[in-house]
Amino acid sequence: MVNGYVPASLQEALEIRAGQDVIPYAGGTDLMVKRRPDAQYLFIGRLPELRQITEDENYIHIGAAVTFTEALADPRVPALMKAAVSRIGAPAIRNAGTFGGNVGNASAKADSVPVEVAADAKLRLISLRGERVVEIESFYHGHGTHDLGPDELIAEILLPRTGLDHWYYEKVGGRSALAISRISFASVFDMQEDRITKAAAAFGAVSDTVLRFRDLEAMLIGRSVAEAKDMKPAYLRAYDERLQLTEGRVSAQYRKRVCLNLLEDSLRTFGI
Amino acid sequence: MAELSFILNGSRVRYDGSAADRLLDALRNEYHCTSVKCGCGEGECGACAVLIDGVLHNSCCVAVGAVQDAQVVTLEGYRETARFQALDRAFAELSAVQCGFCTPGILLAAEALLSRSPHPDEAEIREGLSGNLCRCTGYNAIVNAVKRAAEEGDGLW
Repeated sequence: MVNGYVPASLQEALEIRAGQDVIPYAGGTDLMVKRRPDAQYLFIGRLPELRQITEDENYIHIGAAVTFTEALADPRVPALMKAAVSRIGAPAIRNAGTFGGNVGNASAKADSVPVEVAADAKLRLISLRGERVVEIESFYHGHGTHDLGPDELIAEILLPRTGLDHWYYEKVGGRSALAISRISFASVFDMQEDRITKAAAAFGAVSDTVLRFRDLEAMLIGRSVAEAKDMKPAYLRAYDERLQLTEGRVSAQYRKRVCLNLLEDSLRTFGI
Repeated sequence: MAELSFILNGSRVRYDGSAADRLLDALRNEYHCTSVKCGCGEGECGACAVLIDGVLHNSCCVAVGAVQDAQVVTLEGYRETARFQALDRAFAELSAVQCGFCTPGILLAAEALLSRSPHPDEAEIREGLSGNLCRCTGYNAIVNAVKRAAEEGDGLW
């Protein structure tokens, strides 16, 4: 075979990854658009080890080569994630596109990533040297770059099993299908004993990476809903100041306006 | 390294080119399956749709290496089936074809839909075909044709 490797097992894939300069290929929907006929691909999309969805006490593990269509059919995948991936492309794209590819392509427009950022997801990365588990937020360095070593593969995405019942998701695109996100927004909210314990908001497609501001979220943590309502104008003002957005297919001003509208709408949904 | 081969419309074929080549180009240029059209080259129009192991894919976004040993079906293979005949009749009766460029991809998207959901309602049909652009018909004739094929081809799917 010229310009490619089809490993029979994950072990073989890791050996090739360690010894050759290869690009991991799972679904191909992003890679093939880049048209690199000389690329050496490592075809990992059909490795059974990367195609499983499993659960442990704390996390749902979504294999890197699980497709969006497969996740939509699985009752264990949280509704928030389904809301996001159901809006990706169209059936043929969701049949091919994978969770690992969406992360590995390192685009801020990747529709599954804002959900992962808002949900405090982790990534399990593997190599012949062993494995490491990293926070999704710390994985990205900037547009198109991330923390994956040249000998590593993304093995799974770990989504928390609890705390994702109160969520909000919205994607703004040019049309209902086959639309690249102009803005995507995911938020997760949680309370314990009338006190806010989580108010995570992640903004996709508006900067080099997905944005989340934990210090701003801290304004609401520990507050009651009534207190949070009083804080709301200051909270939205703080986001207004912090959201420094890039120009893209749409203007930075439009992006900011929509981001703030979505943030406010999400708070309203959570009763704030 | 193992040779690159897959099963195209029921027959095993060998591919001597690069594993990084687009399946779309291999199908058209190497195997002359010219029903597979290149509309956009970015996975946004569905004109190059094929079935890989029964699942709908845009062949412009698939490298040949990714279909090693897989079953690839294009319209050239699908047209030999009774299911195709049902769709073909319905599309002709309801004038669901004008220029025809999108039609092979639409038919395979319809097959993928009906094999999963043999009696789809209109919303399901529109969702199933949402990745296939047609610039001629305005879609209504196509949606009606898929619905009629599902009714008149009842039992085929």
